[in-house]
Amino acid sequence: MAVTFEKTREAKSFYSGRWLKFLRDNASIILIYTIILLVIGIAAVFNENFRSPSNLVNIFRQSIILGLIAIGQSVVALTGGLDMSVAQVARIVGLTVATIFAAEGSNPDLIIPLIFLGLLIGMAIGLFNGIIITRTHANPFIITLGIASILRGINLAISSTPIRGIPKAYLLIYDFKIGIIPVNVLVMALIWVIAYIFTTRTRTGRAFFAVGGSERVARLSAISYNRTLVVAHTFCSVCAALTGLFLLARTGVGDPSAAEGMDFQSIVAVALGGISLYGGRGSMIGTLGGVLLLATLSNVFNLLQVNIYYQQLFLGLIVLITVAAYKSPRAA
Amino acid sequence: MKSTITQSRSIRSYFSGFQTSARFVRGVDLAGQWAAPILIVAVLIMAAIFAPAFYLPTNLKTVGIQIAVLGIVAVGQTLVLLVRSIDLSVSAVLALGAVIVVQTEAGGPLWISFVEAFAVAAAVGLANGLLITKRQVPPFVATFGMLVFVQGARLAYTKGQASGTVPEILRAISFEQVGPIPAALIVWLIVNIIVLFILQKTRYGRWIYAVGGNPAAARYAGIPVDLVIIGVHTICSMLAMLGGLLLSGYIGYVDLRLGADYNTNSIAGAIVGGTTFTGGRGNLFGTAAGAALLIMLLNLVVVLGLPIHWQYAVQGIVLVMAVALQGFRQFLLSR
Repeated sequence: MAVTFEKTREAKSFYSGRWLKFLRDNASIILIYTIILLVIGIAAVFNENFRSPSNLVNIFRQSIILGLIAIGQSVVALTGGLDMSVAQVARIVGLTVATIFAAEGSNPDLIIPLIFLGLLIGMAIGLFNGIIITRTHANPFIITLGIASILRGINLAISSTPIRGIPKAYLLIYDFKIGIIPVNVLVMALIWVIAYIFTTRTRTGRAFFAVGGSERVARLSAISYNRTLVVAHTFCSVCAALTGLFLLARTGVGDPSAAEGMDFQSIVAVALGGISLYGGRGSMIGTLGGVLLLATLSNVFNLLQVNIYYQQLFLGLIVLITVAAYKSPRAA
Repeated sequence: MKSTITQSRSIRSYFSGFQTSARFVRGVDLAGQWAAPILIVAVLIMAAIFAPAFYLPTNLKTVGIQIAVLGIVAVGQTLVLLVRSIDLSVSAVLALGAVIVVQTEAGGPLWISFVEAFAVAAAVGLANGLLITKRQVPPFVATFGMLVFVQGARLAYTKGQASGTVPEILRAISFEQVGPIPAALIVWLIVNIIVLFILQKTRYGRWIYAVGGNPAAARYAGIPVDLVIIGVHTICSMLAMLGGLLLSGYIGYVDLRLGADYNTNSIAGAIVGGTTFTGGRGNLFGTAAGAALLIMLLNLVVVLGLPIHWQYAVQGIVLVMAVALQGFRQFLLSR
């Protein structure tokens, strides 16, 4: 007993300052933003193309696709799961919307209904994921991996060649700008703020942390485990659906290989941002940092014309180092 | 006193969500254990009625070799699942092995490239195990990161295009026939016998089950838990490598898509066969049956002349249903 007391006092005197406490509590977030600033600083000094304002805006634009998926992924990660089906959800939404546009002769009146249809598809898949996981007590990661495989089959059945016939008006979703700032960056910022408030200020949002921290304690505190998990997976899949809609507007064709590798990249972004992959700890601020770092790195790689194969090697190395660096306490 | 009892019951029912009978629990348990063998019989009967082409000798040989390759990878995956871990890097290791052997064949002697391949596999497995035990990275994430890293390494090594011929010896141990059965099936059988011996007769095998059943208790009992997990990951990667060599011997060439589905399929095979995610439950007989079932279903997609993308749907459905069944079984048994 005495030993514990001594220890806490020692610890208190060491970390007594408010600033030190702040630093300790947010170490991962501070680290990631420091790395981003370092990368941007070095790149800006050595590469003149990098520091042009249009390129900096470009980084934000490139980051929205990954950003949207990563916001959804981090909500699921907070509950202690991971969603492997996000890339396929984005793809199926893009392909379905593109197919209907093509069948209806790229009718611009259909844009609003089809956007809702896309979001509905995402919501349905998310609900399905959540319900299977909670009803059968199975592992979220593997269930969504299986769902991803099923969706991949369906996607190939829908189309294995690019689908043309997207109306010009639809492309404005990605291209429209107010002054120099693209509207989609604003949309992404808005969604990020909503997700931030959702996870920090609402009951349901706080429940994600509780469930991820300890399922048992959450149940005993009268938090509905099932409902929380279903909400998290639905939110994640809706974010993925939104990503699919943005991707469709960016490429202008229904691409049967859209969002390739996004499932992995979103997990990397979440892990880089310091969300514990055992669940229960982390924040949206970290996720945003992870996304910005990946977008910056990819931009730098492209400017330096690094071979795409080395890029993948590098990505794998980054994630291995990251996950090894954050030593997380083992769950249970 | 009475009120405490009712209260504890109400908490328990809150945990379970519904009341179950002992018979129901037993039924789900048996279903989880015997689903794969029963379904194999069902599939064989259905194939005889609807797709007689399944029983052509050439098709049976293809199915046999594919079962052997998946079976070997799934044995490794089962071992990993038994200690509450998972290995998503098997597909990358499998593909890498083929590339190493094929590409270095032109140069030095063959056995060096074999040693090289298995050393790389062991290194990957070792890295997985170290990340999981020493840095406490969740197994999915550690091995998934390894998957991307190894794939990247393969792409950087081959510059995106792999070429070369497969050595004769690989054709011999995979595609040639010994009597009526393909050699690959014999390799599979030998692997199964060795691993079965380790699991049943050696201390290490019992440690594997002990660690999966309850890691904390195993640690208190003096079992070197970290060592067991690292060892199992190393074995799994080396078995994946062996699977890759057999696969390249069977296909006869190496391309970039080689073995991409083996992650999903090996996990699905092991889990259909009765291995649970929570460790400590599962056996090689189930895994063998699971791998055979999955390959038969995938083969039937081809034999029935359905579009090839239905294979993805089949493997996804099998995986989801198997995981759901095993998760539910584990939940009922551990209550």
